[in-house]
Amino acid sequence: MVKAKFFKTKFFQAKFFTAQLVTTTFSATMVAVLLFLGLAGLCAVPAIGGPSASAAQADATQESWRTEFDNVCAKTEDAMTFSQEELMDLIRRCDSLQPRIEKLDESRKKVYLERLRKCRGLYAYVLDAKRKEKK
Amino acid sequence: MPTSSMQKGKRRSECGLLLFMAACGILLLAYLASAQIYLPKPAPEPSEYGKVILDRYSATGPGAVVFDHWLHRSKFTCRVCHVDVGFAMEAKATGINASTNREGFHCGACHDGKRVFEGKTLFPACSDAAHDKQCDRCHSLGKKGVRKYEYKEFTAKFPKGIYGVNWEVAEKSGVIKPVDFIDGLSVKKAPMKNREDFAVQANYSWVHPIEFSHEKHSIWNGCELCHPEIFPTARKGTVSYSMFSNIEGRYCGACHGKVAFPLNNCQGCHAKAPAWVP
Repeated sequence: MVKAKFFKTKFFQAKFFTAQLVTTTFSATMVAVLLFLGLAGLCAVPAIGGPSASAAQADATQESWRTEFDNVCAKTEDAMTFSQEELMDLIRRCDSLQPRIEKLDESRKKVYLERLRKCRGLYAYVLDAKRKEKK
Repeated sequence: MPTSSMQKGKRRSECGLLLFMAACGILLLAYLASAQIYLPKPAPEPSEYGKVILDRYSATGPGAVVFDHWLHRSKFTCRVCHVDVGFAMEAKATGINASTNREGFHCGACHDGKRVFEGKTLFPACSDAAHDKQCDRCHSLGKKGVRKYEYKEFTAKFPKGIYGVNWEVAEKSGVIKPVDFIDGLSVKKAPMKNREDFAVQANYSWVHPIEFSHEKHSIWNGCELCHPEIFPTARKGTVSYSMFSNIEGRYCGACHGKVAFPLNNCQGCHAKAPAWVP
């Protein structure tokens, strides 16, 4: 009788432990799956082009210098039609753009500083020609 | 009867005359040699003309790059590459290397593996995924049969002039349509207003005047390619342009004699001059 009770208790204990083990394993698997999904999501966002905060900031900075560069250097073909004041303003804008380009990565800096130099050079050349013409 | 002192005097004067003549001969030779330096060098074969060899990293990399101007100038204006892409006009001044190409600059500005031109996707320059055969398309110095285009076949239907292809006629007749704008790279500009051609009077009466096409030059080059770097002043008479400076690679010689028609083609600028001086 006592022996039967002992085995019954042991049986219930084993069943309890098995159930606990299954629950724990399930929870661990769920946690692992969620962790994996979370990590995969984090990696996938930049990979598919989703903007992180710093990337968006960098994009905005890049966008602003490039827009200014395009605006300033778009006028080279018309340089001869500008007044001295307008030319001086364009030169000033080129000068203020230079330090912004200097902060860019090496390749971008190399290319765009050269382009800016050419563009500024032309405005300065036309301004000089106009000043001499006036004398 | 001549005395010995008289004979000696005669010999001395003869020797003096000989020495004087020898000195004159040497001076004449020296003058001719210096004059030879200032004559335009004979132009190479048109297929070799304007060839640029980029060999800064050839010892460590896949070999030197051979760039033929004739191929790219049939597709693009000078301005697109030398202003928008940023290729310098002097050798080794651009700072071009594999990483700038990979990052989408220099050759990689167009050759990025994505850009479509004339219905074809341009191959990526210096891509990590490129195989040897692809690298050899540009890194082709000393390698036979690796180039995709050869001058003779490529220019077969182009109008020819006194020296190779007549690019001006080729463009006028519509055989070539050089592109002047590249998306994402070029800046949108209004068409140029000041395009007047003008004549440049030569310094000497015996030299024919130059008929300079400002229009043609500005369409192909824009303004900033020539001013102020090549032609630093707009005021007439402030700079003395000469053939000597051209031959040295300054002023007109920055392009003519290197890529644009050679300086031997006098008629190219001096319209009434003889056609070709070899």
